[in-house]
Amino acid sequence: MAKYFAKRVGMMILSMLAICLITFSLMHAVPGGPFTSDRKVAEEVEAALNEKYGLDKPLPVQFLSYMKGLLHGDFGPSYKYTGKTVNEFIENGFPVSGRLGFITIVFVLLASIPMGILAAVRNGKWQDMLIMAAATIGVTIPSFVIASILVYFFSYRLGWMPSYGLDSWKGYILPVVTLGGYSVSYLARLTRSSLLEVMGQDYIRTARAKGLSEFKIITRHALRNALLPVITVLGPTVANLLTGSFVVENIFAIPGLGKYFVNSVSQRDYTTIMGVTIFYAAFLMAMVLVVDVFYCLIDPRIQYE
Amino acid sequence: MKKLISLALAFVMCLGLAACGGNAAPAGNINDIAPAPTTSTPAPAASAEPAPQELTFVLSDEPDGIDPTVTNNSFAQYVLSNCFEGLVTYDSTGSIVPGSAESWDISDDGLVYTFHLREGLKWSDGTPLTANDFVYSALRVLTPATTAQYYSMLADYIQGAQAYYDGTGTAEEVGVKALDDTTLEITLIQPTSFFIDLVSMWCFDPVQKATIEANGDRWTASADTYVCNGPFKMEEIKLGEGYVLVKNENYWNADSVTLEKLTFRFILDTATALTAYEAGEVDGIRSISTADYARLKASNAGVNTIPSYGTVYYNINCSKAPYDNVLVRKALNLAIDRQAIIDNVVQLDATPAYSFLAPGYGVDGKDITDGRGTFGMSPNANVEAAQAALAEAGYPNGEGFPTLQLSYYSNDTVKKVVEAMAEMLKTNLNINVEISSNDWAVYYESVQKGDYEVAAMGWGADYLNPMSFLPLFKTGDSTNIGFYSNPAYDELVEKVMLETDPAAAAELTLQADAVASNDYACIPLYYKTNDYLMKDYVSGVYMTASSNMYFQNAVINK
Repeated sequence: MAKYFAKRVGMMILSMLAICLITFSLMHAVPGGPFTSDRKVAEEVEAALNEKYGLDKPLPVQFLSYMKGLLHGDFGPSYKYTGKTVNEFIENGFPVSGRLGFITIVFVLLASIPMGILAAVRNGKWQDMLIMAAATIGVTIPSFVIASILVYFFSYRLGWMPSYGLDSWKGYILPVVTLGGYSVSYLARLTRSSLLEVMGQDYIRTARAKGLSEFKIITRHALRNALLPVITVLGPTVANLLTGSFVVENIFAIPGLGKYFVNSVSQRDYTTIMGVTIFYAAFLMAMVLVVDVFYCLIDPRIQYE
Repeated sequence: MKKLISLALAFVMCLGLAACGGNAAPAGNINDIAPAPTTSTPAPAASAEPAPQELTFVLSDEPDGIDPTVTNNSFAQYVLSNCFEGLVTYDSTGSIVPGSAESWDISDDGLVYTFHLREGLKWSDGTPLTANDFVYSALRVLTPATTAQYYSMLADYIQGAQAYYDGTGTAEEVGVKALDDTTLEITLIQPTSFFIDLVSMWCFDPVQKATIEANGDRWTASADTYVCNGPFKMEEIKLGEGYVLVKNENYWNADSVTLEKLTFRFILDTATALTAYEAGEVDGIRSISTADYARLKASNAGVNTIPSYGTVYYNINCSKAPYDNVLVRKALNLAIDRQAIIDNVVQLDATPAYSFLAPGYGVDGKDITDGRGTFGMSPNANVEAAQAALAEAGYPNGEGFPTLQLSYYSNDTVKKVVEAMAEMLKTNLNINVEISSNDWAVYYESVQKGDYEVAAMGWGADYLNPMSFLPLFKTGDSTNIGFYSNPAYDELVEKVMLETDPAAAAELTLQADAVASNDYACIPLYYKTNDYLMKDYVSGVYMTASSNMYFQNAVINK
């Protein structure tokens, strides 16, 4: 077990190095620089800026000095926002994205799994039809469309919820539904199909033959196996939701991390591109590892080499 | 393993605080001519309780910084115009009026400006503000390590400034001196008729030495260290979310400021901003999407259209054949239906432009561009004349004309305009047009290098004087990216710079304009306007043609 983890962590570090190197090379290969602004900046000023941030040095030197800072947890100063550091963006943005994401995950789990179970148990009945119809809509309609419709009705027409920001608990409702809509639908479908498959297996028949109640059969026997595929997709889903969505953050004007991730690229804010990419990558890897651990809790048949 | 899981869970759950934007009461705007600083709050007509004097205004982006000595970002002006006050400022009619300086004298040779500061000026932290602070700020702008983006606004005009920047001169040799606590003397290299317009820019604002020495670059990072001298001061800085400003009791004219709290909230999505406005969650928004413009205007939703000192135009690469031929440039200009672009494509209340030089600068109450000719152009395309010019250039009916490369930067509105223009050029001149786009950073770099034929561009003046436009076509100027060159034009621009009599300078400006415009140095499309939304219960907010927005006279009347 310990050996397995050591191996996994070693792989993560290697992948991380590769990600750093690839991101760094790619972003410097793109023309333009962080100081190309909408107004002409004098050459002297650009030179002063380049010197201030060490951009006048050769690329390998820049890379090494960046990696050195990274080892100390320093993502460097933003080139675009004077006096701000990338650490600040992450420290300010991640908690916002993360809190919204965490609420969304709770919402997703509480909504999708019961929906999937209900649809499987009432297979072919109206409940199943209704849930699957809703889930199909949720999977196929893009989140920005869902957001626009929700905002139109609940903020503009009814005035029940604010159309932007997370200033009160009400502000969370629309972003959470928008952000979680796809995952709820997808996981509900997955739970349903996987539960249906398990329900047809021999050991369930045995359980029935023992005279167990249907409720016990599902909760104690069927669900445990049926949830395995759900947990597989849960890892990336959690990472996705926690790190924020550019679209949802943009529509609801939420000061999360997603904005920096997307905008830094067009602004050529090199340190922000690097910092946020590395942060996302590390997060995603950690989540995948966590999922692997959950596997073995749920299914003792899975062994680690 | 259990331990590992709980660790992972802890990681997942380590969520910080969600910052919140203040929900100020709605505030709106009026673009009428605000009277001189309102001294009393109008009593609410019916309600017994006076409306809270709080206003929330939506900005469509976050500025790259709010240090007046560093940034040139247009989104910074909302904070800078309201938190700082330079030597001079603008009133609601767009005229320069005394700011921190009560008055100023200009020496007879036009070289020495003496500013008399108001008595008892204070910083927002209550400490005294003196002429020495202006000297410190000017020297800060002129220090390369500051990376002041507007440094040339000082270095190009003030004696000894460039030498100090280059390290070849000393601070004592820079022509910015404090004669005593309330007298500031600025000495110029040569007479500069528009110097007072330059002084209105925020790179001439004072910044406090104490806070900068204590906090370095990060003095703008928190409200406590953001010391300023204007009608408002910083209450809260929320990264990625907005700023909260409150009335600055230490402002010299604080008695005239009614508004207690001013919140700037960043909402990047214009549809969200509009919903928030229409639902009454915010009092005003800065950017209106063109799709909604007509509807909002028709329903009297509070649209304010302010002429802005700027022009939307397309650069023609005058250094590249066949565009070095004035007849070709004339043909391109005459083949464009400007009115159709304004009415059907951008759908704005804009005026067709026939010159790069926008109207908006007046001398003796009269705009200097009044009565200016149209250089052979009309609102609609003049197809016959365009074809005739092209034929005269040697391309009858477009035959033999190389495929025109029309470049633009990724932007939805620009894309629509470019497509319409390409269609007009193809149809009216029978030439091939190829469109290409890139994101701004890549695009701008290639345009600067002259790696283009016709390219989307625009110019918003930094200060209210034609001199902010004229260098655009001056030989060798770094902003001349159309590579137009005409000695007659250069000579006239030199003369404008030295002319101290405004009327004579205006006359020379028009002559220069005529030279470049008769040479069709670029393809002007329309003059810019600024549009913003403000609820009708807000009065006193005004915006200048240089796009600065002032809230110091704002009053909530509800």
